[in-house]
Amino acid sequence: MRDVYVAGIGITSFTRLEYPLAEIAAFPAMLAMKDSGLTGIEQVYVANMGAARVNHQTALASAVVDSLSLTPAGAASIENGPASGSAAIKEGFLAVASGMHDIVLVTGAERMREVNNLEATDFIATLTHPLAEYIYGVTLPSHAAMFTRLYMEKYGVTERHLAMVAVKNQNNAMLNEFAHLHQPITIEGILDSPEAMTNNPYVAEPLRFFDACPVSDGGAAVILVSEEVAKSIDRPLVRIAGVGQATDTHAVHERENPTDLLAVRRAAELSFGMAGLTPSDVDVAELHDAFTILEIAESEEVGFFAKGEGHIALEKGETALDGRLPINPSGGLKGKGHPVGATGVGQAHEIVHQLRGEAGARQIADARIGFTCNFGGFGNNVICLTFVREN
Amino acid sequence: MAREIYAYECTECGTLHYPFKMRCRNCGELEPFKFKTVPLPKRGKLLTFTKVYNLPAAYEVATLGIAIVELANGIRVTGQLEVDDPTIGMDLLGDVGVVREEPYNRYWGFIFRAA
Amino acid sequence: MAVDLEKILRPEDHPMPPFPAKYMTLASGEQMVIRQVDRDEIPDILQYVAPLVNVERDFYDVVAARLYSEILAYSRHRYQDQYVLVAQVDGEIAAVVNGRQVTPNLGMSLHTVALRRGLRIGAHAFATKMEYHMDVLGHDEVLIVAESPIGFRRWMIEYQLEKRFGTPHELGGVPSWSLTRELFDRARDTLVVGRRPVPDELLAKAKAGILPPSDPPTPPADLLAATRSMYDSTGTALMAQRWRQEVEHA
Ligand SMILES: CC(C)(COP(=O)(O)OP(=O)(O)OC[C@H]1O[C@@H](n2cnc3c(N)ncnc32)[C@H](O)[C@@H]1OP(=O)(O)O)[C@@H](O)C(=O)NCCC(=O)NCCS
Ligand SMILES: [Zn+2]
Repeated sequence: MRDVYVAGIGITSFTRLEYPLAEIAAFPAMLAMKDSGLTGIEQVYVANMGAARVNHQTALASAVVDSLSLTPAGAASIENGPASGSAAIKEGFLAVASGMHDIVLVTGAERMREVNNLEATDFIATLTHPLAEYIYGVTLPSHAAMFTRLYMEKYGVTERHLAMVAVKNQNNAMLNEFAHLHQPITIEGILDSPEAMTNNPYVAEPLRFFDACPVSDGGAAVILVSEEVAKSIDRPLVRIAGVGQATDTHAVHERENPTDLLAVRRAAELSFGMAGLTPSDVDVAELHDAFTILEIAESEEVGFFAKGEGHIALEKGETALDGRLPINPSGGLKGKGHPVGATGVGQAHEIVHQLRGEAGARQIADARIGFTCNFGGFGNNVICLTFVREN
Repeated sequence: MAREIYAYECTECGTLHYPFKMRCRNCGELEPFKFKTVPLPKRGKLLTFTKVYNLPAAYEVATLGIAIVELANGIRVTGQLEVDDPTIGMDLLGDVGVVREEPYNRYWGFIFRAA
Repeated sequence: MAVDLEKILRPEDHPMPPFPAKYMTLASGEQMVIRQVDRDEIPDILQYVAPLVNVERDFYDVVAARLYSEILAYSRHRYQDQYVLVAQVDGEIAAVVNGRQVTPNLGMSLHTVALRRGLRIGAHAFATKMEYHMDVLGHDEVLIVAESPIGFRRWMIEYQLEKRFGTPHELGGVPSWSLTRELFDRARDTLVVGRRPVPDELLAKAKAGILPPSDPPTPPADLLAATRSMYDSTGTALMAQRWRQEVEHA
């Protein structure tokens, strides 16, 4: 296998974007081309989850490659639920690693604010098991809530820990111009003041409003290249050192131990194994905090902390921007936003940004090794990527 | 006649599956549809639960109880929960009722109440 | 003597007890004051409502245009028995709500608009006007409509309002929903918050002047790029924006 480098990155604001979906995919791609100075794209992968259902558009990649005037380059759409973004990066990685292509564009885009919140919730819920889950009214927040309840019982995680994740990530988002939420929140305001329970009502007990990510539009892109191309341009060298993907049962109730996220554990092991690194080598990570509990649980499953101790590390501030291992400096899905199909690419964008030292006010000093975890379904399709800054 | 929700028993090795799978998780038999339907027991214990406030557009109620229940034979299922003050581990009795209604369709599934 | 035409045109307000100001802590930890404003302060509010007329998303345009006309008419004595409440954070305008008394037993909710998003400010402001109708004006019932999906979620779903589809609403007969005293009492613990009296300093700051919103909703930068799908019912509003842009560029 050949080494694969990220030569260019681009992103839109994650917010409500009143542009056609193909433009949301094309805009960050143009930024990434500008960033890398590379326009000779051979293959395009477009990550997206809802085009057909939410935007009434199919074959998105064909629209995007044309909009970018990149025809006749190859193009394909990748739909892999909320892990579409990283799945597309994996495809791009393979295309370069195999020697088939030297320059590949991966762009992710979602425009789910085109429909109202009720429909958006329903759209995401269609990833659950159609006969054993969806028919009951199961949504992603309900899976996360049932998982949280067990985590609280078993490991002593409390609503306060969850609120701490929300505050940390929404405050990190204040430093990210591309983030969806630019409202600071405080523990006082969402947990302790007399008005807190109204400010922060339940969405699915025991999860509250500020435990969930917002519904966002947005796009992000990376350009993946061979070593030869990477060294021919004047950009910092960031290599994708590890790619790990794993799956788990479709219906959540079939998992033997309902507090395990085995696909996260395995995807991380594979990614670190391929990179020849360990979790303790990581300087900065973007984890898939669609719900606050997931940041805690994933931080354990990927190996940063022992099982059941993620919330203790959080309490000690280890995952804060100035902590030992900053998690979600971008604001994460919670603060930066979650345009589902674009999220994995957005995570990679942030890590490359950090490893290049370009992250401005939220820059982690001397970050050389970065890690992402993109969590599809309710943990049934997970991709973890390890990035290394080389020069 | 009482309605049932079925588990799928592999006719090769006897492993029970819910929901249906094309291929047995245990023996991996490749001959398709080698499963026998077995009605799931109605009694079980509450494993975890939630009360959901933000419901998909199909629901007209304000909140909905959702639970994962471990049935008497060890098989776990997801279902709706109609218990005021649920506690993990409590005994439940499932009924098969309408769990979702759409303009041209009704869906039947488990609704659990305190046993 | 000349006919006093103004006297004929000007509706006479029925006596309505004033709304006692209250305050609350927001999710951000900031304190928000909600208080009633009289006619004198309406021009200050109008200048901040006006730009929202160009914001198509979430029906800000429809709501802002109607609110503008209602409170303008109120300040110029052309609207009977209306009240206006304003929510302020550090003096900054955060939300405006209005409504009116139809009979001593019946209230009519008019509009709610949030000028700062993401902190349930609109929800707090709406709950406050319901509190005014029920607890201060002593209405048995308030008729309500929603113009936007988020409004529908906030009012119809969160309060579980009753349908009153047979009763026309003043905003144009769109299906009315009703908040009854019973529904309000049920929602009181979870949805209606706030503390009284407002500390002097906080109230003084609010009354000192209604400051502009720091981050109000704005229209998309490129109006022509905001093409909407076939599902979107707000296409006409977009057309109006386009025409305006064409006029400005002509
Ligand atoms: C309806 C209205 C008053 C409700 O106000 P509100 O209760 O303060 O609620 P908001 O509108 O701020 O709630 C949405 C915001 O919450 C924030 N949010 C959403 N999900 C979130 C999450 N998971 N975590 C944190 N913040 C979140 C976002 O900032 C979102 O704003 P965005 O849509 O621009 O991204 C207000 O939306 C409004 O004025 N709309 C226009 C006029 C209107 O519709 N009036 C009512 C007519 S019936
Ligand atoms: Zn078998």
